Amino acid sequence: MAIKFEQVNFSYPSFDGTNFSALKDINLEINEFGEFITLIGETGSGKSTLVQHMNALVRPTTGSVTIYGIKIENDTKKKGKVKLNPLRQRVGLVFQFPEYQLFEETVLKDIIFGPKNFGVSNEDAIKRAKEVIKHVGLDEEYLKRSPFNLSGGEKKRVSIAGILAMEPDILVLDEPTSGLDPKGRDDLLKLFTDIHRKLNKTVIIITHDMNTVYKYASRVLVMNDGSLVYDGKPTELFSTNNIENWNLDIPDIISITRQLEERLNIKFNSQPKTIEDLFILVKEVI
Amino acid sequence: MKNIIIGQFIPGTSFLYKMDPRSKIIALMLLMVSTFILSSVSHILIMLGVVLVILKIGGIPVTRIARGLKPIMILLLFTFTFQIIFIKTGNLVFDTDLTLTYITLPIILLIVIFWYFTKRYTRFKFLYLLITVFGILTLLSLYNPGSIISSSHLEIYQDGLEGAFFIMIRLIIIVTLSTILTLTTKPTDLNLGLEKILKPLGIIRINAEEIAMIISIALRYIPTLLDEANKIMLAQASRGVDFSEGKFKDKIMQIISLLVPMFIISFKRSDDLANAMEARSFVPGKRRTRLHTLSWHNIDTSVIVFCVLVLASVITVRIML
Repeated sequence: MAIKFEQVNFSYPSFDGTNFSALKDINLEINEFGEFITLIGETGSGKSTLVQHMNALVRPTTGSVTIYGIKIENDTKKKGKVKLNPLRQRVGLVFQFPEYQLFEETVLKDIIFGPKNFGVSNEDAIKRAKEVIKHVGLDEEYLKRSPFNLSGGEKKRVSIAGILAMEPDILVLDEPTSGLDPKGRDDLLKLFTDIHRKLNKTVIIITHDMNTVYKYASRVLVMNDGSLVYDGKPTELFSTNNIENWNLDIPDIISITRQLEERLNIKFNSQPKTIEDLFILVKEVI
Repeated sequence: MKNIIIGQFIPGTSFLYKMDPRSKIIALMLLMVSTFILSSVSHILIMLGVVLVILKIGGIPVTRIARGLKPIMILLLFTFTFQIIFIKTGNLVFDTDLTLTYITLPIILLIVIFWYFTKRYTRFKFLYLLITVFGILTLLSLYNPGSIISSSHLEIYQDGLEGAFFIMIRLIIIVTLSTILTLTTKPTDLNLGLEKILKPLGIIRINAEEIAMIISIALRYIPTLLDEANKIMLAQASRGVDFSEGKFKDKIMQIISLLVPMFIISFKRSDDLANAMEARSFVPGKRRTRLHTLSWHNIDTSVIVFCVLVLASVITVRIML
C-alpha cells in the first residue's frame, strides 16, 4: 500500500472564523503499482486538495494520510522529526498551471531543478532531462530556450518533464491536458499510459474529460462536495444513475452506442470502449 | 498566509463609523499636528486623555489598539533606552554601578538560556523579556562578588526620563490615532476620501484620481498575489524545495524560485487588467461618476470644529508658556 487515507478531513480557515470544509471523511487506498486512476468531480469539489495530501504538501485537519509508511497527521510537522521531502520525490505532483513553477533561464535548468533538489548529480540530471524532454514530445533543441518564450502547451509539457525527471514512483497530474489541442492531449495521455504500462507505475490524473476516464482509467474516483462518492471501475460508474447528481457527463462513445441501440431498436451484447470496437459490433448486427 | 487581513477594518456603529472619510482624515491630521506642537509631559498626558476619550466614545476596544502598538514596541524601547542613556541634564534621579564579575557572568548566561527556552510557554513574551532584562540589570548593580571583568556606570537624569516618557507617549498617540482611522474606515472609503482631499493638487498637475486608482488596485491585488505566492510555494515544494529548512545558499535559490514566477504572474495580471479596463473604455484622467458618493453630515462639521479648537488651544498654550 503506497498511500492510505484514513478518515481525512481538511478545512480551510476563513476570515469570519467559520471554516470551509474541503475534504470530508475521506478513506482511500492507492497501490504502488499498476493503477491508472482518474479523479473526477465538479470544480471546487476538493480534487486538488485531495492530491495535495498525497505528497504531504498539506496536512489533514483530522485523520491521517500514510505515504510509504510515514504517517502524516495534523501535528506531524510540529514534532519536526519527519522528513517530508523524500516523499515528494516518490510521489510526483504536477500542478495545474505551469506558470506557477517555471523560473529558470533555460528549460534545461528548470527540468534539472527538481532532481538536483533530491540529490541527483548534475550530469545524471542533464541526462535525464534530455530523455524526458523527448518523452513529453519536444525536441532536445527546446532545452536551450527560455521557458517564458514558450506557448501555454509547451510550458505545460516542460513542467511535466520537470516532474518526470525526478523519476517518481507515483505520478499525480492535476488537469494535465487542459488548454492543449486535441493532438497534444492525445500525445500526453499516450505518454502517461506508456509510463503506466511499461514501468508499471501508478498514475493519477485529475480530469474533466469523461472520454479520457472511460478510455484509459482502470479505476475512477469521484469527488462531490468534499466527499469521495465513488471508487471503482469506470464502466460501472457510467451505468449508474448518479452521474447527473454529481454534475458529470457520459463519454461520447457510450452516448453514441445508446443512441444507436435506441434508433435501431437492438441491444449490443457488450459496451464498446473505442470507436473501432463499435464498428465491429455494428458490422456484426448488420 | 490565509490569515492576513488587509486593512484592519472592524465593523461597528459608533460615531466614528458615521463620519465621512474626508473629515476623518482631516481630523487625524489636525490632531497629529497638535500632538507634535505640544512640548511638555503634562500637556501630552492631557492629549493622551483626549485620545482615550475618543476611543471610549468610539467604542473601540483598547486591546485592539494595543495589538496595533505591538509592531512598534521595539522602536519604542529603543527610543526610550537611548533617551535615558544619552540625555544627561537636569537632576540626577538614579545612580548605580553595574559590575560584571566572573561569578555573575555564568548566572546571567543561565538566566538568558532559561529565558530562551521558557519564552514559548508564556503569552506575554514582551513583558517576560522586559522582566528578564530588568532582573539582569538588578543583579549587575546589587550582587558583585568575585573578581571584576568590567564595570560601568548607569546614571539616569530627570530630563532623560521625562524626554523618554514624552517621546513614548507621543508615538503612542500618533499610532493610536492612525489605527482609529484604519479600524473604522473601509479601504475603499479611505481611498475615496484621500482622492477628494488630494483633488486641489490638480492645480500643480498631480492627478489625484490616478493616485487613488493605483492605491485601490494595489490593495485589491494583495490577497490575490498572496494566494498566487502560496500556490507557487506548493508547486516548488513538490519539486523538492523546502522553504523552512536548508542551507543559506539553497535558501537564496529557493527564494528565486518563488520570486521569478511571482514577477511573471504579476506582470501578466497587470497586462490583463489593463486590457480589461480599456475594453470597458477606461481613459485615465477623464471625468468619471461613482457608485458610492461621499456625504458630509453635521457630525463631520462638529468633529472638525472640535479638532480645530484643540489645535488652536495647543498653539495658544505653546505661545503663552
